[in-house]
This record gives sequence, C-alpha cells and structure tokens, in this order.
Amino acid sequence: MKTLYFEEVEEGDELPPIDLLLTKDFVRTYARTAGMDFPRFTDDAGARQEGLPGMIAPGVLSMGLLARLIGEWNQAAQITRIGTTFRSPVLPDCHIHLLGFVTQKDIERHAVECDIWMENHEGERWVIGTATVVLPTRNP
Amino acid sequence: MARVIDLHLHSEVSDDSRAPVEAYLKWLARKRDERPLDGIVLTEHRQFDTQSDYRALEDKYGLLILKASEVETEYGHVLVYGVNAAMLQRFDFSNVRLRAQEVIDEVARMGGVAMPCHPGRPTIGLIEHYENRPPLEGVVGVEALNGGSKKGENERVAALIDTYGYHAFGGSDAHLVSFVGICATEFEKEITNTEELVEALRAGGYRPVDFRVRRAPAQPAASGA
Repeated sequence: MKTLYFEEVEEGDELPPIDLLLTKDFVRTYARTAGMDFPRFTDDAGARQEGLPGMIAPGVLSMGLLARLIGEWNQAAQITRIGTTFRSPVLPDCHIHLLGFVTQKDIERHAVECDIWMENHEGERWVIGTATVVLPTRNP
Repeated sequence: MARVIDLHLHSEVSDDSRAPVEAYLKWLARKRDERPLDGIVLTEHRQFDTQSDYRALEDKYGLLILKASEVETEYGHVLVYGVNAAMLQRFDFSNVRLRAQEVIDEVARMGGVAMPCHPGRPTIGLIEHYENRPPLEGVVGVEALNGGSKKGENERVAALIDTYGYHAFGGSDAHLVSFVGICATEFEKEITNTEELVEALRAGGYRPVDFRVRRAPAQPAASGA
C-alpha cells in the first residue's frame, strides 16, 4: 500500500483491481462476527427457504470490500461518503472482482469521487457505487 | 451531428445516480478510442428534466446531448423519446403504474416514441410480462443491448425480436460516470436533434453496438487474504 497525494491523482485513474475467491466459510465467519447469524448468510438450505438461490453475502460485507479497494489503492484515503446499489445477491464460492476509477477531482476540498463496483467472473456487476474520498495535499 | 449515440443513461437528476453530465462528457472524451460516441440521451427516471440546458456543454465537448425519460408501466420500464408539454400534461411521469399501451399509443400520437428498455430483466422487463399478458400493440423497437444486464438477459431479447420483428437498439443504462457509452446505438443517418431521433427510431436503420472491454482477471486470492 502507498500514500497518494491529491496532486498525484488524476481523473481517469484506475484503482488497482482486487480479485478474490469469496468463500462460504469467510461469509459465515463475517456474518457471525458481525452479529448477523441468520440462515440467509450462513446456510444454503436456510437461505433457499427464504426464496434465495443459496446463502448470500451481507450487504455491509460487500460495502466493506469496496472500501478495502479504496484503502489498498491509497492508504491515506479518507472515505467521507460511500453509497452502493445492490443489483443482485452476492453469492459466495465464486470469484469476484473489485474495480474502480477516479472520476472527478474537487480542488477546494482535496477530494475525489470514485466509481466502485463488484462484478463476478462473467462481468455481471452485482454491486455498484460511488465514494467521496478526501486525500492529503502537498499544498495545504 | 451524431451517428453513434448512447440512448439510455441517468445523471444526478435521477434519484439513483450521482453522475454530473459534464463528468460523463469528460469521460467520453478520455475514452474516445474505446467508445467512439457522438452523443448521449439522458433518460431520467420517472421525470422529464425541463430545467437543464446542455447547449454550452454540447459546444464545449462536441457531443449531441438530448433529453428523454424512463417511465414505469405494468409491462416494465419504457424509454420515452420526444417528450413534449402535451405528454407531460397527459401523463404523470412519476406514476409507477402507468398503462404501457396508453403510453405507447399516446406518445406516438403526440409526436414521440416509447420503447421498452432492458426487456429481458425480471420484473421490470417486457418479456416476463408477455408470459402473462397479451403483447403490446405499436411497439417499434426494444433495447436489445443494455449495459447493466446480467448474463442471459440480452440473449432473451433476441428471441423476442425474432418473434415480434422489433427494431433493436442499445444503451449503457449508466448510473456511474465510468459506465457511459459502454453500449450504444449506431444509426445509418445523422441525428442532430430530438425530432430526427424520434423519426429514426420509428423508421429503423440502426443497430446496437457493444463497446464493453473484458478485462482478464488475475488469479484470485482467497477472501479476506
């Protein structure tokens, strides 16, 4: 991880992608740790009884992974807003890709807007969102 | 003048997008080699943007910027091109239960064209509703290529088009800046304004074009690693 200053970041910069195998064990552990020990997040059969195709990842986990995308791009990034839209249930035991771009710079606030999203190995975008990120500046 | 146009995208005027129009235009300028667009049509959700004037941005970026609407009906979502005062008086665009047949008939009568979007999508797409309801009359085309569709959705539309002979168009359905122009429509004739767009959409002579670039993912690490 590295520190990027506002002046070193450009509109159009790609956040280094993260490719992950999102396992069911990881999702179960996360859900139980986060006090979300519900069948939809821990058990395929229980999730199907709720009408889901199988156990799914909690939304806050997806949001956290997207925040990680920003943190690994720039350890000095301060996320002041993050918003996500869940286009599809996030089904574990599959390869996911976390992707993003810097889309706008706000010179007055030393902030950037980022597009961020999670897609599966077939390019289906399961979670999309944006984040506002304040960066350190060399010209305070 | 424009031949390649993204016919479906949402700006910050819509309630589920934060994308400023100028950010879209800057992105298209940056991605010109990948996405050679000549114009965009802003299709805001459940409303028509009567306030915004994009002529200065058109001049600055050399792109055609037109306005339309995405409305909601019992047959799913429908894009309305050529929106005018008569339509806004006739319909409450914020009503999520508009009658699709009325929208298609009345919009046509009033000088526009209404075309179903993402028809392969569950619940809000035309195909699922055709399984339980009679087909709509007067549909001239459907969005055969939608940048936000999941696997199988766009493929289902091909069968719909074969069955009903609809024209096919494409749009990104972008809500994020970086998704603008990933799918679009290529017209045989130049489009310079909304009236020409409506005329062309009614007549045919266009096709969806796909500018999506598939990235090759690295070997994934286990989650949490």
